[in-house]
Amino acid sequence: MRKLTIAAAVLTAWLAAPSQSHAACGKVTIAEMNWESAAVAAHVYKTILDKGYGCDVELVPGDTVPTTTSMSEKGEPDLAPEIWINSAREVINRAVKEGRLKIAGKILKDGGEEGWWVPDYFLKKHPGLTTLQAVLKRPDLFPDKEEPGKGRFYSCPSGWACQIINANLFEAYGLKKAGFVSFDPGSGEGLSAAIAKAYERKEPFFGYYWAPTSILGKYPMVRLEGMTHDPASWACMAKPDCANPKPNMYPASEVLTVVTSKFANSAPEAMSFVKKFSWENKVVNAVLAWKDNERADAEETAEYFIEKFESVWTQWVPAAIAAKVKAATS
Amino acid sequence: MPEWLITFPELNRETLRAMRRSLDEGYRGFSRTFGESIENFFDPLLAFLVWFERLLLASPWWLVLIALGAIAFGASRSVKMVAGVVAAFAVIGVLGMWEDTMRTLAIICVCTVIAVAIGLPIGIAMSRSDRTQGAILPILDVMQTMPIFVYLIPVVMLLGLGKVPGVIAVVVYALPPVIRLTNLGIRLVDKDILEATDAFGAGSWQRLVSVQLPLALPNIMAGVNQTIMLALSMVVIASMIGVKGLGQPVLQAVTNQYFALGLFNGAAVVALAIVFDRVSQNYGRRLQRHRQIVSS
Repeated sequence: MRKLTIAAAVLTAWLAAPSQSHAACGKVTIAEMNWESAAVAAHVYKTILDKGYGCDVELVPGDTVPTTTSMSEKGEPDLAPEIWINSAREVINRAVKEGRLKIAGKILKDGGEEGWWVPDYFLKKHPGLTTLQAVLKRPDLFPDKEEPGKGRFYSCPSGWACQIINANLFEAYGLKKAGFVSFDPGSGEGLSAAIAKAYERKEPFFGYYWAPTSILGKYPMVRLEGMTHDPASWACMAKPDCANPKPNMYPASEVLTVVTSKFANSAPEAMSFVKKFSWENKVVNAVLAWKDNERADAEETAEYFIEKFESVWTQWVPAAIAAKVKAATS
Repeated sequence: MPEWLITFPELNRETLRAMRRSLDEGYRGFSRTFGESIENFFDPLLAFLVWFERLLLASPWWLVLIALGAIAFGASRSVKMVAGVVAAFAVIGVLGMWEDTMRTLAIICVCTVIAVAIGLPIGIAMSRSDRTQGAILPILDVMQTMPIFVYLIPVVMLLGLGKVPGVIAVVVYALPPVIRLTNLGIRLVDKDILEATDAFGAGSWQRLVSVQLPLALPNIMAGVNQTIMLALSMVVIASMIGVKGLGQPVLQAVTNQYFALGLFNGAAVVALAIVFDRVSQNYGRRLQRHRQIVSS
């Protein structure tokens, strides 16, 4: 009997030894969210976990709230890239406290960026206009044809939360007095088309947008300085009837990779990579712009990232793993 | 069975992508080269739209009400009509939708006038030649069935957000009925009457203006009615590309589930449509009576 146990132990050790990471990783399910940047991240995870760590990866479709709920209640899927914490704070905080989920790291190094932007070609022509205060002095540079003599500020479409915040910021920074009108683009598609149009013809543009998005990847813009976030007066800014809006700014939104505790405990090596997976908005924007330009899908885009942004992802994994991934993908 | 009998033999992904990209690039190139001059071409229209909207917004409300009542009376010669129009606008004003309604009124007036001004001649041309009709009918089919967003975003790429692309989108959508029904109306005019007209030695212009058009008027007016209705139904879509007016609050209501806000503004659109329609139809009827062609 004892012999048998030893034999079994030896056998197990022998099976496990040459590829310890394989055995430790096993089957991993990853949520592929229904927006671009997260879908690409899911495929990058898949490629590296599969080729580098020998995990058996499966992608399942997902969205913030259903995916986090399912992870916390059922332990499935194992990993969710890109959870914008503001939209799921409660579920995640509770599950983390109860030990069912773990926050692996910030997948977006810069966080989600919202703000007021001007195009980079415009700054080349008018190098001084990097701050809101400088822009406010020149409404004539952003002419609104429908309101002759005024400057146009592209706000958010009706009904979006940022429309209310923009309206309060508009008042707080005195844009009206400076000669600007707030223009409602009507829809997200309208707003992005307006940016595309301005960019194609190198026309001025001054308005709200957010990153990482394929729009900001394809049409680089610069976020205006001179606006700072003030948590104390922020709550009021989100209210349509804020009595006395004060100068403020959108806070950076934390965007995280969330994993189940089961995965974190059972695959420590893979987990150390998941923890390090963090890219800058600049990189994400560039990758998404390529995706848009090539009309590629998320999988092809992930391949493109692995191939072209080696210096970024090789920092997330040990050299041996990086070599494996490179060998498998080239 | 060979593979191509089971799955449809489609072009490979690379080719399809290249095709789409070259079309997109082509359009972008077109917009880069000609966009500005096309935009400038529409500048007078924009200036007029801005001026007209300002006129309606800046005039005192009672003056606008009087003017609307006078137009209603001039068109219909009916006191009931005038009372209805004034009451409708008064309710709209009391419910706090005056400004948005004036904006919508301005843009819809212009759209209707443009649609009728383009539609009538095309309808007349179609009625005079089967070949023209054959060429134009498929275009009208495209205009009526092509999903709006397919051409809305390219129009925005060309002209930016705002009133002018809004007017173009509305006119494209609202134009077909007036063309179709003008064509139909003229084609339905009794052949015997036309023969009689020819026998009296009328020229073709005379025949058109004094016989065909008046006799086709009921159909033409039905076309105008449809055009007005379609133009107003496009108000919400137009607001998605930055046209100010009643569409914006409706859009806001839809995204935030504000039931009452949506209902009020929707009702204002309906009221505008009814006023437009009744006034124009009464005018049409009076026109026919004037010319003594409706024998009663």
